[in-house]
Formats: sequence, C-alpha cells, structure tokens
Amino acid sequence: MTESAPLVYLIDDDAAVRDAITDLLASVGLNALAFAGTGDFLARWQGAPEHSAACLLLDIRMPGQSGLEFQKQLRAMKIDLPVIFITAHGDVPMSVQAMKAGAVDFLGKPFREQELLDAIWHALERNRCQRRQLAEQQQLQQRWQSLNAGEQAVALGVVRGRLNKQIAADFGVSEITVKVRRANALRKLQLRTVADLVRALERLDIR
Amino acid sequence: VTSLLKKPAQTILLVASMVAIFMLDTFSDYEIAIAVFYTLVVLAALRWHAAREVIILTIACIGLTVLSFILSLGGQYDTGLVNTIISITAIIISALLGLRMRAAQQAAHVAREELLRISRATGAGYLTASIAHEIGQPLTAIMSSGDACRRWLNQQPPQPDKAQRALQRVLTETRRASDIIERIRAMVRGEAVQPQAFDLNQAVREMLQLCAGECSRRNINLQLQLAVHLPPVWFDRVQLQQILGNLVLNAMDSIATVPEQPHPGLIRIRTQLDDGAVLLSVGDNGTGFVANAREHLFDAFWSSKQGTMGLGLTLCRQMAESHGAQLWAEAAQELHQQRGAVFYLRLPMDSTTSK
Repeated sequence: MTESAPLVYLIDDDAAVRDAITDLLASVGLNALAFAGTGDFLARWQGAPEHSAACLLLDIRMPGQSGLEFQKQLRAMKIDLPVIFITAHGDVPMSVQAMKAGAVDFLGKPFREQELLDAIWHALERNRCQRRQLAEQQQLQQRWQSLNAGEQAVALGVVRGRLNKQIAADFGVSEITVKVRRANALRKLQLRTVADLVRALERLDIR
Repeated sequence: VTSLLKKPAQTILLVASMVAIFMLDTFSDYEIAIAVFYTLVVLAALRWHAAREVIILTIACIGLTVLSFILSLGGQYDTGLVNTIISITAIIISALLGLRMRAAQQAAHVAREELLRISRATGAGYLTASIAHEIGQPLTAIMSSGDACRRWLNQQPPQPDKAQRALQRVLTETRRASDIIERIRAMVRGEAVQPQAFDLNQAVREMLQLCAGECSRRNINLQLQLAVHLPPVWFDRVQLQQILGNLVLNAMDSIATVPEQPHPGLIRIRTQLDDGAVLLSVGDNGTGFVANAREHLFDAFWSSKQGTMGLGLTLCRQMAESHGAQLWAEAAQELHQQRGAVFYLRLPMDSTTSK
C-alpha cells in the first residue's frame, strides 16, 4: 500500500495560531486542515483519509466544548485519530487526565518547533501502526473466510491441541483428509506453523 | 416524612407531647387555652426536621386543636372559640416565622460560601492562568511563524514570499501581545477612565472591522443597523469598544454552541435614539440563555462556558455603570427562530450637545 503525504488536523479557536501552525507544517511538507472549533471539525469530517497517516492537534481551552471532552466524544464516535493536546495553561492534573485518556503528547503554548514536530511524527507513526494492524486484521479475516467449513473445523481442532487422529474421529473422516484440510488451511491463511495458526486465530478472536 | 422516621426518638417525643396536649386540651374547660402549647411542638420540630415535616406537624397540631374544641364539653363556648382561634393563629405564626428564619439562615450560609469561593478564586493563580492564556496565544503564533519563516528561507530554492508572510504574522502578533500587556498594566494601575464625546457609529464600525474576519471564518453574518444623525455619546471610547468586543465575542461563542451544525449564525448590531439616551444593542441567534443563566450573567466568576473566568460581563457592567450607562440582557425575539440573546447598552449623551 503506497502512502500519500500525512495529514494533520488542527482545532484551535485562535485564528493567528491556526495560521501560524498550518504554515509551519507546510514548511516541513505536512498537509494541515485547520478548524476554529470542534463543531466545525465534526461538520466537515468525512472519515480519515484512506491512504495517508493522520493525527489531531487539539487545543484544550476553547469556547463551547473543551478539548478533553472532545477527546472522549471522538472515541465514542470511533474516530481513531491520535491526539496531541496544546494548551496555553497546561496544568498537571489536566495533562495527566489527557495522557490517561490516550493522548500522544501534551504541549504547553508556546512550544518549540522540535517538540511539536516530534510529537506529530510520533502520533503519525502510531496512526500508521494502528492502520497497519487493522489492515492485517482485515486481510487475515478475509483469508479465514476463504476456508471452507471442513478446513475451518480442522484448523480449530488443531488449535485446541487435538491430534489428527482425534480430529478424524470427531468428524468421521479419514486421517488423510484431515491432513489435506490442515495443509489447505495453512496454505490459504499463508501461515507455516501451528504456532502461527494459534496466534492468527487468537488475533481474530476465534477459538 | 423520611426525616420523621430517621429521628425516631425526637418524633416519639413530639407525638407524645402532641397527645398529652390534646388530652389536656380536650378534658379541660374551654377557658383554658392549652392548645397554645402546640407552638412548643412546632418550635421543637423546626429544630429537628425539614420544612415539609414541620408543615405536616403544624397541620396535625391545628387538626388536633379543632378536634379538642369539638370534643371539649365544659366551659363557655364563645371563650372556647376565641381561645381556639388564638391558639391556631399562634401555631401558624410560629411555624411561618420559624421556617422563614431558617430559610434566611440558609441563604446567609450559601452567600458566605460563595464569598469564600470568590475570595479564593481572586487569588494569584487564577489571574496568572488567565494572563498566561491571553499572552500564550500570540506567543505561540509568533514562535511557530518564526520557525516557519526560517524554514522557508532555508529551503532550496528559498521561498521569500512565504517567509515574508510568516514575518508579517510575527509582527502583527507581537503587537497583539504588547497590547495585551498594556491592557493588563492599565488594569493593575486602575487607570482613570477618560470619558469624552464621540460618534458612537464610528467607534462601532472601527471595532467591527476587527471582528469581521473572525465572523466570516465562522460563517456568521454581521448585520449593522446604525441610526443616522445620532448625537455624540459621553463615554470612554476605548472602554466602549472593549464592551462591544466582549458582547460580539460572546455572541460568536453562543452561536458556536448551537447543536445543529452547520448553523447560519447572525449577529445584529444596532444603534438608536432612546428617550434622551443612545441605545446600542448586540443580538445573536445563538443558544440564548439556559435555565437561570440570565440572572447570573453579570455575576463575577460565573460563566456558562468552560475554561473562562466569568469576568467579561462583570467588568463590562462595571465599566458601563461607572459612566452612568446601563448594560442588560434580554432573550431575543425578533431574530429568526426566536432564540438567542440581545444585550443592550444604554449610553448617556454628551450633555453639551444634548440641550
């Protein structure tokens, strides 16, 4: 999968801050989309970009909804963007709360360029990782669906630690059939060992 | 009734006294006003129980008094009637006075708590946080713009146009920061206000130029209805603009919190002559006032918004009143959807020209 330029969403109620950060990100080749408030962001939200990593720079103190509340709302809406908080009066309890809720970083305004860029790289990397895992998961799920019922049953038997002989007896088929199905299952799932199979089914939460 | 059950000892004592008084009252002659002693029951109940229970007990006492009067046999009927009425009046009065006194005590308690909270809030920490936020915004813009400017210049080939624009932002924001510091300094100094006669419409137009950009960014329609031939007003020009700026910002914030998004916002600013004064109004179609918000709008450290100090309108009203002007709020009616708020500032005219 090829990746296009990463995208940084920015929500801050101060126009000058938005312009400055957007420009700074542009100067290092990052695309930014700026919003004046959380309502504005949600109104224009059309889902995360398909082929690029993304993250969200979120001001804590804004009219209307606070950044911390918005972080919760995003989670409830299953919008999976790594969040970096920026605040002009970062106090300790607030930053603790933000980090506990899964924020990537918490930057006090004004921040150094390097702090901001480091946090953004970190967030984008986390997003890439999330996306990769999700893609792998989906691929694995597709491969699992491509197994026929007999192959799935044999694979499950193997994972449960039963011997070929026992599986054959369970389903009233020959041991050769079990071996063939077992080999087919591993081939279709593109796995090599039983240990791989155990891990794969665990990831799919099938047992 | 729950508090009657929660304090069984007290309740038994009260009921026992009521029964005793009832017996004495019933079996004594009409002339002896035993029923007056029910006031003792009411007073004791006030000590131990909530208002509802006190009222229930009071009604019970009145009922028993009447019952005794009906059952009582000996003595003069007329005197008995008068005594009964006096007793009932005494019971009602003691219950009413007792309840009112207790309500007053509770109100005093709440007020004391509020005062404590305010005196704590006025501590240095609060002010520092607010100043840090005010100054932090332009500083952030300056720092990020400076970094961007350097990067545009260091690129191969360099991008002087973009660097120039970033540099312009640095200058603008530096001025903004220094204005804020100037304002804080003036606040700390408690600088004397300088009322003067000036054209209100002109001052309004100047202020709104500053807001226009933000309004269009937020997709808010800014409507101006300025009366022609308005006499000059007598006010501190800078403070007037501060008040107007505050009202417009509040209106924008209120529009931003309307749940249905996107919401075509509207802010209408109007000037008009009003019976020997000049009326300036700022109306919006935002969320308006929730529940009891309108009563508290001008209270210090009260805000419907998160993360603000709740001082904006308090200071605005102080500024208005120090010039003999009035500032108040009403729920919007004429702007569409019948929601939102209108703030009115009634300004005195320049006395030299108004005659």
